[in-house]
Amino acid sequence: MAHVLFGVGCIIVTVWLFVDVLHAQERNLTRIRRVSWAAAIFMWLAFVIGGGWYVVSYPVDKAIILKGPWPFAHNYFMETKEHLVIMLLVLASYLPIAASNNLAASRDARRLVLWVAATVVLLALLVEGHGAIIAMGVKVALLAKPH
Amino acid sequence: MENAPISKYTVSFGLSVSLSSVINALLVVVKEKSPAVLAAMQKLTGHQWVTHSAIVLILFGFFGWLFARVNRGQGLPMSVNRLIGTIMAGVVTGGVIIVGFYLIGD
Repeated sequence: MAHVLFGVGCIIVTVWLFVDVLHAQERNLTRIRRVSWAAAIFMWLAFVIGGGWYVVSYPVDKAIILKGPWPFAHNYFMETKEHLVIMLLVLASYLPIAASNNLAASRDARRLVLWVAATVVLLALLVEGHGAIIAMGVKVALLAKPH
Repeated sequence: MENAPISKYTVSFGLSVSLSSVINALLVVVKEKSPAVLAAMQKLTGHQWVTHSAIVLILFGFFGWLFARVNRGQGLPMSVNRLIGTIMAGVVTGGVIIVGFYLIGD
């Protein structure tokens, strides 16, 4: 599940970005911009790999979930997740643009990056949580199967 | 110079984030309520979600580019406070529509 790894990578790097922006100075501006790009790249990797898995492999899991005791793991959690993650990708892609301003010289630009970074982290955690419930949906369905 | 101005692309793509988030959510409602739209999206790329993602990402790029071109290429004049409010409003609205739709509307 490489997409989960890259999703967690995006969260960690975005937290790093948040902390770095709180202490933005001329000497860490280059690092801030690189970290903002890293957050976007991690999110794109998670999206492309997760999307490929969703399109090719998920239909089998979906059939298992829907026959099990937790159909809501697909009907609500996967349906919600697959669309929230598009919003998350757009937000993460905006991070390098927002971080391209002179954050050392602009309090407003710093506030903008902090708001966007915080939203990316919260949304990514929500999506990761959804993924955990979907995986549990498969697990309980398989456990509930008569042997 | 504690408050240097932000670039026109920061404003234009910020507005595009907000607009794309709402369009993303509205597209969910439209495709789930209209089998014809869902079938057309399925046909276009082979999977409706791939088409959905492509539409939102293309619109994000397009609106970001478009909003930077207005006002004779100077972009939209907007305070950062208003930009933050607009981005958050778009993301929250988009999120509430998606969650609300699958929770009670579907």
